[in-house]
Amino acid sequence: MTKARLGKIALGVVGLGIGVVGVLALREATLSTHEDVAARETRLVLSGETKGGEENQTLSEMVESQVLTCRLEVESDLAGPIERLGDGRFRAVLVPALDDSNQRQFRGCLEDWVIDHVRLDVEALDQIR
Amino acid sequence: MKVIAWLAGIGTLVAGGFYMIVSLNRWEWNRALFFGIIVLIAEVALATGLVLRRLARLEYRTRVDPEVINVLSETRPPSPDRFAWLRDTTQQTNVFITFLVGGGVILSAGAWMVDRIASKTSSPAGEQKLGSQLSRISYPSGGLLLDDVTVLAQDVPGANDDQIRWLLRRGGRL
Repeated sequence: MTKARLGKIALGVVGLGIGVVGVLALREATLSTHEDVAARETRLVLSGETKGGEENQTLSEMVESQVLTCRLEVESDLAGPIERLGDGRFRAVLVPALDDSNQRQFRGCLEDWVIDHVRLDVEALDQIR
Repeated sequence: MKVIAWLAGIGTLVAGGFYMIVSLNRWEWNRALFFGIIVLIAEVALATGLVLRRLARLEYRTRVDPEVINVLSETRPPSPDRFAWLRDTTQQTNVFITFLVGGGVILSAGAWMVDRIASKTSSPAGEQKLGSQLSRISYPSGGLLLDDVTVLAQDVPGANDDQIRWLLRRGGRL
């Protein structure tokens, strides 16, 4: 067996290893695993901006729609209305507190392209005891 | 230009794949789907480009030297003129006439043979055989309707049926 052939085989094995590790890591990162949380609630602060929306659509209702849509993906619910902080920033409280997996899922949903013409950026997603 | 196109395709593939994985890691499914589509498009485009490039190489390899083609075409033997005999000439006897006369003789001989064979089919023995076959469907010797009532009916004044009289004559009653 020549050196070049051995090198190709080694390269293939390394590539296969990287691929397998990558897929396993991605699987671990996207797997929903829930655990008990000591905190009582989770506070959400986000900023949003809209572009090219319809005339009678406001940023507030877009934010509310997206937060309510994403809240359906986790086990927590809004503890009250979404507060408008001004300058395109909003705050909400969810009970019970989100565990780590739910936090990632909730943040991903909020920053995803769920509703047209609006883009949200989660500034804070903290646990409150 | 080709290099730029290849680099753009590869860059799109890598960047799309990177952002797809990042989006998956962030649980942003719609973004991941979008970048996945971008990766797919870039992949198909690159694969098509690779296949076309390979086909172009094959075409280049199979291209024959035009000088060789010229030599081959120049040394090609002339095609034989197989219908030269059809051309009209005033000096030579045309072969076509020979074929015409010969064909006529052959057709005449065939017709004579057919005539002879047909004439042999109507021999006296054949006619006798035909007569015996036809006798099976001929009228009976006494006629078809010649009973006594019919015969007596002909004696009645005013009776004049030509067909019955013909049958009576044939049966020997009249």
